[in-house]
Amino acid sequence: MNSLDPRVNRLSTNTYPVPNEPTAPLDQFGTFEVFVQPKGDKPFQHEGIVHAPNLEMAYVLAKEAFTRRFVCVSLYVVDTANVAASPITEGDVNIYQRIEDRSDQPGEKLSYEIYHLTRRGKQHVHAGTVQAVNAQDAMVKAKHQFNSGKGICSVWVIQTKNIRFTLPEEKDLWNTLPEKKFRDASAYKGGDKLSVFLQSKQKSSDHSGHSDNADQ
Amino acid sequence: MNNIALKELLYKIADDQLILGHRNSEWTGMGPLLEEDIAFSSMAQDKVGQSLAMYTLLHSLGEGDPDTVAFTRRGNQFHNCVLVELPNGEYDFSLVRHFLFNTAEVIRFELLSTSSYEPLAQLAKKIRGELRYHTLHANTWIRQLGSSTEESIARIQASLNFSLPFAMGIFEASPHENELIESGVFAGEKALKQRWLAKVEEIIHQTDLHLPDLNTVEPVPGGRVGKHSEHLQPLLDEMSEVFRIDPTAEW
Repeated sequence: MNSLDPRVNRLSTNTYPVPNEPTAPLDQFGTFEVFVQPKGDKPFQHEGIVHAPNLEMAYVLAKEAFTRRFVCVSLYVVDTANVAASPITEGDVNIYQRIEDRSDQPGEKLSYEIYHLTRRGKQHVHAGTVQAVNAQDAMVKAKHQFNSGKGICSVWVIQTKNIRFTLPEEKDLWNTLPEKKFRDASAYKGGDKLSVFLQSKQKSSDHSGHSDNADQ
Repeated sequence: MNNIALKELLYKIADDQLILGHRNSEWTGMGPLLEEDIAFSSMAQDKVGQSLAMYTLLHSLGEGDPDTVAFTRRGNQFHNCVLVELPNGEYDFSLVRHFLFNTAEVIRFELLSTSSYEPLAQLAKKIRGELRYHTLHANTWIRQLGSSTEESIARIQASLNFSLPFAMGIFEASPHENELIESGVFAGEKALKQRWLAKVEEIIHQTDLHLPDLNTVEPVPGGRVGKHSEHLQPLLDEMSEVFRIDPTAEW
């Protein structure tokens, strides 16, 4: 292999034979859902997923994957398997119309976090916390406490104890050096530099074109 | 205040950050998984950013401007410890180096947050949040790989054994050690090393790893006085390639 990138040339790829067989289908990390709080007075919103071997690693990897560029005050993660999701409705149908009331069920009340999706393609946003015996029960409770009547096309429910929250002493993770323009693609003004470069090339080729003619 | 002592301190901190930042950035696009690639690259950027802040302090004390200082010195003018200039090899080594170096870095800046040299104390407070993440990242990885599979434990252990002599080089005493301590600028490498060892032990004890007796480890000094391995100069040549072609280039 011969690459313009010296790092690639340094790789001793010959010593590591690439196996021909595909890896086992489940030989991958699981996924974890990442929620970010953009400002202190804003609710947490779903930002995306990370792959990780466990919840703590997911938190570590999510922090840089989702909050290294944008303003953020807090973050938490939860195993995707611990998210109970309602179906997504079409049109203007409110998802809570599909969730039938049920009488109170026996059992210990646990804390559940409720998230609403107000439009397809948007993110689930934290709506509040309910006490319920299970995820289904939590959706019913949410219907009574947080149903604004319209514009909710999906509900997520997560048991609070399954979430890896940011600890109070970890809040300064986002208190970083402010001079981080190098993280912002637009700060490099790549387009401007390219056009200056192309113009100078154009000029020099015009110039050399003339001298070619003069030689003839 | 003795400016020579202070500058020596600032240079070694800045050079450590710049060289390790550059080394770790070599993983960009080649990390073991996408999320880790992003996280490690991002921390490498943090380290380079921190070195810029340190070179800016040096500039205010009469040294050259940060780009000149970073890109035009020869290897023997750099004060980084040898640990940070070693080539990457496999990821287990990079993680162990990251862990050993960062543990010292965090304690160093904790000590500096009460420095009598006010600009340095200010900077130490400013980068606390960044360093907290670096610590969380390093410690979590070491706990994870240091107690998961036979292979991961063996790899981390081998890298730990290999790295420790170089890690001892972090604490190579400065000729101005006493002046720095007496003037309240910095508590000194000895105090730093003691606290570093306690922290490293604490994390290693949470894993299936074993920390060799440091009395049996032969330190690799020299970096602080410009005596480097053969790996530093090629790194500098590569890092300063664009600058040497066009010192006015912006990127």
